[in-house]
Parts: sequence; C-alpha cells; structure tokens
Amino acid sequence: MYIIIAGCSKVGASLVNRLSEEGHNVVVIDRDKSSFAQLGSGSNCMTIVGVPIDEDVLKEAGIEAADALAAVTTDDNTNIMIAQIARQLYRVPKVLVQTKDPERQRVLSFMGLEAICPTTLTVESFFTALAKGETEK
Amino acid sequence: MRIMIIGGGNVGYYLTKSLSAEKHHIMIVEEDQARCEQIVSTLGSKRVEITNGDGTNVECLREAGIFNTDALIAVTGHDQNNLVACQLAKDYFGVKQTISRVKNPKNIRVFKKLGVDSVISSTERIAGIINQELDWTDVNKLLKDRSSNVRIREISVEHGSLFNNKCLKELGLPKGLILIAVLRGNEAIIPSGDTRLEAGDAVIVMGEEEDIESIYGQFKEMRK
Repeated sequence: MYIIIAGCSKVGASLVNRLSEEGHNVVVIDRDKSSFAQLGSGSNCMTIVGVPIDEDVLKEAGIEAADALAAVTTDDNTNIMIAQIARQLYRVPKVLVQTKDPERQRVLSFMGLEAICPTTLTVESFFTALAKGETEK
Repeated sequence: MRIMIIGGGNVGYYLTKSLSAEKHHIMIVEEDQARCEQIVSTLGSKRVEITNGDGTNVECLREAGIFNTDALIAVTGHDQNNLVACQLAKDYFGVKQTISRVKNPKNIRVFKKLGVDSVISSTERIAGIINQELDWTDVNKLLKDRSSNVRIREISVEHGSLFNNKCLKELGLPKGLILIAVLRGNEAIIPSGDTRLEAGDAVIVMGEEEDIESIYGQFKEMRK
C-alpha cells in the first residue's frame, strides 16, 4: 500500500517504522526536519519537510495516488484539516485522524472521519489492566 | 443578526467594533483569558458577549450560544482552527452562514470546497493590488534609465468622477499626454477622441510625471 503519514511525532515515527518494515510504500511529512531522526535506520521511507496542511506539500507527497493517510501531528485541528483534504478533495480510500480529546472523537465520527484517540486508548488499557488485577485477587 | 466571532485578536476586535455599531449582536470566543478581559473592558459588556475558551470545541461553542447564531466568522491566526470552527458551526450546529479568514491564500480553494461559505485572504487582496501596480514598474524603470521623466500609469475611472461618461476629446488633457488603452471588463480598447469613458474603466496613461499628477485627481474627483 502507498501510505502517507502526516506528522513525524513519536506515534508517527513508530508507525512509519512498522509500516515500512512490513514492506509498505511510506511517505512521511513534518514541518521540522530534525523529527526524522526518530525514523529507524532501516526505514527506506520518503521524507518531506513542509506544513502538512499545505495542499502543495500533500501533492508532493503523492496524495493523488495514496491508498491511505494517517494524520498524526500533535495538533488536533491540523489533523482534521489534513484528513478532510485527503478524503474530500483527493478521495483517499482510507483516512485516519489522531485526536487528543475524547470529546472531539464523537464529533469527528459525526463529520464522517475515523478518529483514534490516544487518551481513550490509554485509559482503556489502564482500566482493563486494573480490572484484571481485581479479578485475579 | 446574531454573529459569533472566533478569535479576539486585532481582526476580531475591530470586526466587533464595527459590527456592534450596526446593531448586530456580537459574541466572541477567545482562548486567552487576559485578552477576553481586555476586550470587555474596552468595548463594554453591552456591546459584546465574550466566552473564554476554544472555538473549535463543541462544548465551548454551545456555551457561547451557537444555537442562536445566524453567522459565524472565524478569524484566529491559524487556518486549521478557522476551518474546524466553521465546519462545526455549519455541519454540527446548523449555522446558516460561515465566513473565514485564511493566512495562506492557497487555502481559499480548500476552504470553499470543504463548505465554508466565504473565504477571505488579506495576503491575496494586497498581492492583487500590488501586482496591478507592479506590472508597470519594469516599464517605468526602463523609461527612467533613459533619464526621461516619462511614466506609464494605470488610473481607474471612479463612479461620479468628472471624466465619467465623457469622450476623450472633451477631457482637455495636457499636450504630450497619451491615453494608451482603456481597459473595460475583459476588453482592451485602443482609444480615439470619440471613445467615451465609463465608471469602472481602467485607463493606461503615458506622459510626463507632473502631467499625469495634474489629471489624476479628475479621474477620482466627484462631479459637483
């Protein structure tokens, strides 16, 4: 698959590493060049320095041909904007958005965007682990 | 009308000032607490209702009174925040009219495609004005290099100008001044003495700098 990762955060970088290990064709965009240092040495992905809400930057990343895009910058609204450009302007088949705010996750699904919320996932993991400890007692 | 403004920076502040004078009910949503207090203390709580919070957050918009809003204007300094505010207003809360400012002129197209009703870019507006002027700078530089005092300028004929609806031969232009072209809509007319000027025309003039200055005012001046 041809996948664009917008935002080379911790999440973004790890995602890129995993995906390129699996043999996917990955392009990663970040406004800060130094963030690419987090990418694994074996990762043969393409990197682009630029603001990912800039249509020209997304075009350079090959959004017209992308099979999937994950918007994982540290700013929720930036992610939402990228996702909408991808989905509505370029008809990218699979688009995922990261949002820090669990409240926003509901609104996003209303807007037709598939959102992943690290806060919700973390709480979920803690909760399950704690509850599991409870039943084992 | 009940208007909600997202972003209480300079643009938001002056918008509020001019709109509230026209009897609109203005609500501002601004993230910075200190800025909120500053706006209320200068404009007074009678002219503006202010909510301290994130204008891209559903709860905050609800609290600010989005359900009774006729139009939302997003003027924060971040394009992505303006887009999200407009979309929440329109798609989630059913606000009829959304207006957004963009910093990056390239986002005008993107915002319109994503459903924002009106998109304004000051960068693009200014660039448009400058480009009109700039087209002649190369020519003028060339003329100046030949140590001549001759310039080319573009002057628009304003509504109610003394020259509006007059033939060129009636204008009494100084000798040595030439009207090279009259630009009307998409047309460029090579004028003769019988060409009649209309308000909205742009006239390209060549002549001595002082002569151009002397007639410039008449293109703009109101007929008494």
